Amino acid sequence: MADGASARLTEQATDMDIAQFRAELHAWLDEHADEVALQYSEPGTLKDRLDQIRRIRGLLYDAGFMRYGWPERVGGLGGPAMMRTELNAAISGRGLSDPGTASLVEVLGPTMVDYAPPELAAEMMPKLLSGEELWCQGFSEPGSGSDLASLSCRATPNLGPNGGDPETATSWTINGQKVWTSIADFSERCVLLTRTGTPESRHRAITAFFVDMDTPGITRRPIEMINGEAEFCEVFFDDVQVPADRICGGVNGGWAVAMSILPFERSSCFWAWVSYEQFKLQQAVELAPDDDRAAEALGNGYLQWYALRARSRLTQLRMAAGEPLGAETSVDKVLVAMSEHAVYDAARKVLGGGVEIDDDPAAEVWRTGWLYSRASTIYGGTAEVQRNIIARRLLELGDEA
Amino acid sequence: MDAADRELLQSTIHDALAAHAEANPTAATDAMLGVPARADDVLADLGWFEMLEAEPRDAVSIVAHELGATDTYASILDDVFAAALAVEPRADLAVVLPAYPGTAYPAHGSGGAAGIGTSRTSNASELLVVRNDTEAVLVPASAATVTPVAGIAPRWGATKVAIATVAGTDVALAPGAWERAIAAGRRAVGHEIVGANRTMIALAREHALDRVQFGKPIAQFQSLRHKLAEAFVAVESTDAALTSAWDVADSAESLMTAALAKALAARGARTVATHTQQVLAGIGFTTDHQFHFFLKRCLLLEGMFGSADSITLEVGRHLLATRTVPTLIEL
Repeated sequence: MADGASARLTEQATDMDIAQFRAELHAWLDEHADEVALQYSEPGTLKDRLDQIRRIRGLLYDAGFMRYGWPERVGGLGGPAMMRTELNAAISGRGLSDPGTASLVEVLGPTMVDYAPPELAAEMMPKLLSGEELWCQGFSEPGSGSDLASLSCRATPNLGPNGGDPETATSWTINGQKVWTSIADFSERCVLLTRTGTPESRHRAITAFFVDMDTPGITRRPIEMINGEAEFCEVFFDDVQVPADRICGGVNGGWAVAMSILPFERSSCFWAWVSYEQFKLQQAVELAPDDDRAAEALGNGYLQWYALRARSRLTQLRMAAGEPLGAETSVDKVLVAMSEHAVYDAARKVLGGGVEIDDDPAAEVWRTGWLYSRASTIYGGTAEVQRNIIARRLLELGDEA
Repeated sequence: MDAADRELLQSTIHDALAAHAEANPTAATDAMLGVPARADDVLADLGWFEMLEAEPRDAVSIVAHELGATDTYASILDDVFAAALAVEPRADLAVVLPAYPGTAYPAHGSGGAAGIGTSRTSNASELLVVRNDTEAVLVPASAATVTPVAGIAPRWGATKVAIATVAGTDVALAPGAWERAIAAGRRAVGHEIVGANRTMIALAREHALDRVQFGKPIAQFQSLRHKLAEAFVAVESTDAALTSAWDVADSAESLMTAALAKALAARGARTVATHTQQVLAGIGFTTDHQFHFFLKRCLLLEGMFGSADSITLEVGRHLLATRTVPTLIEL
């Protein structure tokens, strides 16, 4: 659709009516259903799914849809960010890609736009949006999970024997380890948080780098998950050389970068999760026997899903209205996990053994899905961390003992 | 009405109801107090009937919430139902509500009717009885047997209403009027639960910050913090569901969204009550503390116009009948 329809959308991007955008988007997806459909038989491998993401991103980029909601200076076509939210929801809602790996664009893209040197953002963002590249998020470490500010992967300025101001270094050396880095071994780049001060400096001395994953010294070891897939990796950095112009947010400015990601990680991304869960619930509803046991299970899954949809909808609307988002997005994250559990639990009940004792491809998809759903109380800030935030910031219960 | 107007209205209603509660002190235990003085006149003076007609969303969501939050009582369900049935609400008109905990028409096959009511059924001049989807009847109050019931929440002032023969002035209903009235009632009850739940959380929070054990406020213990956080999540999701229900109140999605909001309110009320009562511990188990009023009010409201379980089953059956998972609300 690099044609009339696309041009029309472009002109209107700034004051695009979101319902109209949604309608045009779905019309395009209907029209190109064969092209965007999965090109492999499910369950497929992680590589199959990531290739699918790259491929449909390319199609959607050429059609313009992948560019709406991003500023023109990074190859976008402008318009409100909610257009991206709608796009991600449409893709997930049709089961064209799962929302987790796909949402890395939403997590890392805004960071690049806001914190990378402008030339770097302009060069790199089109590669991400067009599916030419996948990027990963190098945050968690073996010793730094919920307590991100304790991270220790070290970046040292290359200043020569006499030292000097780190700001004058033209390159940096990185040593250390990351873990739980999703799709690291399929990614071309990584947004990496490093320690650039004393171990006690915590959030005051963290620096973010945009690192090429083919840089010598980077070793990736995939970790097999309980569902048999290897979505994330341990990533080792041994004397990895990174130019200073790859710093995002300035030296020791990495904490602000990390914090800026959270509103996206715990808000706009979730709209795609909501749609994907609806897609899974729809599949379960189609397969379920017509009895009250199934009705009860599905009703429960749907109710919990709807609670998330209602809450997330208000968050998207607040975000679109320009309201700053903060601790209240922890409520959304808690609801994502509750919904994810409820939807897959409902499916497991109505499948009557499909998850546990069948080996056909459909059963395999449900099995890996159900097992993966248990991660929802862990990733993106554990359920406990979210409840801590709610207690301290929203209920104002003061500090913990 | 913009956000500032709404805030002003809310604080006006809150203050008026709180003043009413203070001016009408009641004994602490249920056995002694019976039904407290109703706040119907307070609301009427604040323009409740005019608001309900002009701005039904703001009127119902704010008033129902504040009644729940301040532990005050007024017969707003009569007016909410009457308005949804396109019969002009008035202070001397009561509506026979469906028998608890369902949603069935009050009129039954034998020509009579049975249902529940607010305390207004005891002193109204007429009772509106819905027969079916197209017919209702304005019945003289003298034809009804109204029995006050204490139940678990005597302060709420519920009654049981029986009418041997439904006869009076016939009223034609628009198709679907009863379903819309149930939806309106569910939204109102949902707001009342949310209001009560927010006060329960506030009471538990206050207690957790004041109560010292092992040398520090119990609010510092993570297990209690997480209970209150879970209660907060429950009430926030119900609130969001109610907002969405109102956003689509004039569309075909109004029935299902109201049902879901009510189910979430009922389920959330259990979560809130369980956790806040545990945080309040011993004092929350006594009538020295006001917690029990909110607990009992919620227990009554949980089943009104359908419990969480019955609505969930009904929704599940609908999913299976249509083999479709409806989206209901969009950005």
